[in-house]
Amino acid sequence: MNAMLLSIIILPALAGLLILAMAKLPRMLQGIVVVAAALADLYLGWKLFDGSSVGVSLVLPWAPFGMDFALRLYHFSGFILLASAGFCVAICLYCLQFMAKNRHAAQFYAYLFFSIAMINGAVLADNLVVMLFFWEGLLLTLFGMIAIGNPDAHKTAVKALIICGVADLCLMFGIAMCGHLAHTLTISKINLPLTTFWGGTAFIFLMLGAIAKAGAIPFHTWIPDAAIDAPLPFMALVPAALEKLLGIYFLARLSLDMFQLTVRGPMTHVLMIIGAVTILVAVMMALIQKDYKRLLAYHAVSQVGYMVLGIGTGVPAGIVGGIFHMINHAMYKCCLFLTGGAVEKQCGTTDLNKLGGMGRKMPVTFICFIVAAASISGVPPFNGFFSKELVYDGALARSQWYYWAALLGSFLTAASFLKLGHSAYLGKISDQMKQVKEAPLAMIVPMLFIAGMCVFFGVCNSFPLHKLIQPILGERLGEHDFAGWPESPKLVIFTCVALLLALLNHWYGYKRSGSGIGAADHIHHAPVLSGIYDKAERRLFDPYEIGLKLCRGVAGVSWAVDRFVKWFSDVFAAGIAVDCGRWISWRHNGNYALYLAWSLVGICAVIVWIMFG
Amino acid sequence: MSDMLLIAPLMGVLLFNLPLPFFRKAMIPFGVAFALFQAVAVIFFPQALAVSIMFPLMLDDLTLVMLLSIAVVVMSALLVGRVTIGDEIKRCNFASLVILALLGMNGVVLCSDLFSIYVFVEITAVSSFILIASEKGRSGFEGAFKYFVLSATASVALLTGVALLLIVSGSTRFIDVASVLGTSANKPFLMLAMALFAGGLFIKSGLMPFHGWVPDAYSSAPSSVSVLLAGIVTKTTGVYVLIRIMGDVLGLTPTIKEIMMVVGVITLVGGALAALVQNNFKRMLAYSSISQVGYIVLSFGTGTPLGIAGAVFHIFNHSVFKSLLFVNAAAVEKKTGTCAMNELGGLAARMPMTGFASVIGMLSTAGVPPLSGFWSKLVIILALWQSGHFAYAFIAVLFSLVTLAYFLLMQRKVFFGHLRHGLENIGEAVELAAPTVLLVAITICIGLLMMFSPAINGSFLLPVTGF
Repeated sequence: MNAMLLSIIILPALAGLLILAMAKLPRMLQGIVVVAAALADLYLGWKLFDGSSVGVSLVLPWAPFGMDFALRLYHFSGFILLASAGFCVAICLYCLQFMAKNRHAAQFYAYLFFSIAMINGAVLADNLVVMLFFWEGLLLTLFGMIAIGNPDAHKTAVKALIICGVADLCLMFGIAMCGHLAHTLTISKINLPLTTFWGGTAFIFLMLGAIAKAGAIPFHTWIPDAAIDAPLPFMALVPAALEKLLGIYFLARLSLDMFQLTVRGPMTHVLMIIGAVTILVAVMMALIQKDYKRLLAYHAVSQVGYMVLGIGTGVPAGIVGGIFHMINHAMYKCCLFLTGGAVEKQCGTTDLNKLGGMGRKMPVTFICFIVAAASISGVPPFNGFFSKELVYDGALARSQWYYWAALLGSFLTAASFLKLGHSAYLGKISDQMKQVKEAPLAMIVPMLFIAGMCVFFGVCNSFPLHKLIQPILGERLGEHDFAGWPESPKLVIFTCVALLLALLNHWYGYKRSGSGIGAADHIHHAPVLSGIYDKAERRLFDPYEIGLKLCRGVAGVSWAVDRFVKWFSDVFAAGIAVDCGRWISWRHNGNYALYLAWSLVGICAVIVWIMFG
Repeated sequence: MSDMLLIAPLMGVLLFNLPLPFFRKAMIPFGVAFALFQAVAVIFFPQALAVSIMFPLMLDDLTLVMLLSIAVVVMSALLVGRVTIGDEIKRCNFASLVILALLGMNGVVLCSDLFSIYVFVEITAVSSFILIASEKGRSGFEGAFKYFVLSATASVALLTGVALLLIVSGSTRFIDVASVLGTSANKPFLMLAMALFAGGLFIKSGLMPFHGWVPDAYSSAPSSVSVLLAGIVTKTTGVYVLIRIMGDVLGLTPTIKEIMMVVGVITLVGGALAALVQNNFKRMLAYSSISQVGYIVLSFGTGTPLGIAGAVFHIFNHSVFKSLLFVNAAAVEKKTGTCAMNELGGLAARMPMTGFASVIGMLSTAGVPPLSGFWSKLVIILALWQSGHFAYAFIAVLFSLVTLAYFLLMQRKVFFGHLRHGLENIGEAVELAAPTVLLVAITICIGLLMMFSPAINGSFLLPVTGF
């Protein structure tokens, strides 16, 4: 069993190396290896997940100061292993067709498998330093996967690296503090109170690292840029699924196991505020986007807000909701990106101005889109509805303002997906797109499978809740069982009203602007909002851009200091020396009488000094 | 045995000047052989040298160091003269005068008597005047004349000082004078004597502002004579006598130490700055010599054993590296016909040995490890620091950098860079290989020996401090 813990980390890494070595071989061969490796990972994940091996751990001495190489299988870890392996299989299948003509396909697969290996390591790690190692390893694969996209993609890759790097620094800081406070680096032994100042600070730093990985505000600005620049399967896998899984996993471990997060105290409010702000700001930005993938990217950021809000509530309903939302989001966001990829491959563009009426040409893609969009909007009986209801329940239990914020987010989410669906799949087909056909089989199968899982997790929500999520909370759950229809009918009614309002809003916008894509224009050009939107589109609020400007300023100052030092040593000091030398040399005019005079004056001075000094 | 060092040169000069066939030709070989003999005797048989039969000579460690320096420089000067002076008669005259100067310097360092020291100083000085003017050019006369005038002033001061001490103590021997001074009541006379000695010897050493004759004399003398002058004459007739009189006879009072340090630092600074802007190769080396003598006197002025040891070691090192640099100047002048740096350039390509030797000389003067110059500079700076003169130590280090700067300028202008138009046909000065190689070898070996073997340290350097 210990060997399996190690092998689930090592196997994907080796697979990645193997694919990299096979880069020049025919695509078919690569494809076989890729799918085989993904299936092997899935098998290992399955074997580890089934309940018998919970609590298995592996400890190898590694470095002093308590840094052992410690792995431990929790229920939650097993769940994440299985989920990430599942997504890996789906994306690999999809990529067989999507990346068929891409030059960098072998590199992409290699980075993909390295990422899986890192994620497996991070969720299995029982030692903070080991986890940090795997966590940071993801930075490299992140950079690599973005950089092999567009020709200009390296700028976005650097941006992603720097933003995630800064977040990882916070994480490192938090780990150092946490390790110091708890006097141990073993995760399973840490349980710190949040009431002390240092405990709270450590929690905040660690939380920042976790939510940054998940993609919450203010660490989110690279995701929309990556949506354009990076290859699409990267978007479908990493920001949509894997990062959420890892980030929310760690946030949940922080709140439930490592720190004693209780409903008393300000920490829960911090989390909930971050969650609420993320939901609203990101969805407002998503509403006005004119590109399929960018719109989806902003939604990925927005939905993280629900997860953070849920976990931040501190009540069982909210926490279960947040974690359930995590897995649901991973599924429907992945599916949405896959449909976007299908559209991109078949139509050659994701610009919503150019798309239209694809529903008739690509019916299967359209159906998957409808299912996923309904899930994300929270339409019953899809999975998004159930997890959102649980989050609303928890939010309302703390304060109604969080509830209204979340509900407003839902309203806007639904509005923007109506806009997206309308402009991409309904309406007139433009002339260039008349030849478009449905996406190939290898791309459809994953989409259908994930969409089906969305329906399954919604309709039979007892399966995921009982088997996957509720065991995570353990005793904290008490007597609650959240399976089945939501407890409070009032909340359900509010949700349905919000969805209807979204529909009405869309109809109004459509009539006003005359096309599907303009359905949100009345919000875009609303009095105060248009100014804010304008600034946001020009990246004035982007912390990365602000940071870059600051760095440029510091660099300018340093350069000026350097120039000054160079002037001082090369021009000023040397000039003085040469001028003095010239003066001395000029005084020697060759006249011996002058020299004699100097000497006599000198002798007199010496005599006077000695006699009377 | 040390009488030999005085009698043999004299006899040799007299002998080889006889107008017999081949005798004249043998003058330079005789000189070189004698210098070699002197060096070997100092290194391997110092105890034998300690015995003196005819004259009352003294021999302590300082004398041994000086004898070795004298031998090395005279050998180099003779080897250079053999090449640069064309006419046979002139060569013989040159060698005779150099050997007489050798006699004079040996006398200076071996004497234990004030008046005898004065006599030998004058012998050396007269030989030098004639040597400087030996090419019979206008500039040679001018340089010799300036040296003569200032040297005469210095001699007057020295003689007056000797006379005063004779009046006070009734004898001119070092031991007698030193023993009387402690108990004498004639303080003003003594102080005047000290002041006069200081003034005269500063002129002889070439310290600022008493140095007026040095740049003109060094640069207008023929190259072989410059080697002798810069290498050893000022050190012996000036600095050594200063050390002997102030150290042994009069005693290092705080006032004289302070004067020496001030004059030393002025010389150091002025010489280095003036050297920065020179265009004539030999004039730049002259100012550099002035600056290095400043280091020596600055170190001696601390009065601590380490300081004195540093000063003496620097005398030896300076005689070696300055001679090396002047030998290079002789090579350049012989092959290209000019000493003006703005007319030279890129010589290292055509004269690799000279170029390499000049780099070694430059690094040693600037005090770059592991060459010998580094060690003496290090001791000087340490002595300054340990005696509490932090400002002087800082200036010494700073002007080491300036030294490096002006030498690098020289290197760049003369040896590095593009070969100047018209210099394509010059070849290496292989005739001067002997002195060049010898001096480079001494610089490098002493440097490495200081690093790896404390033997040199123990036998050469430290006993001097006991004096």
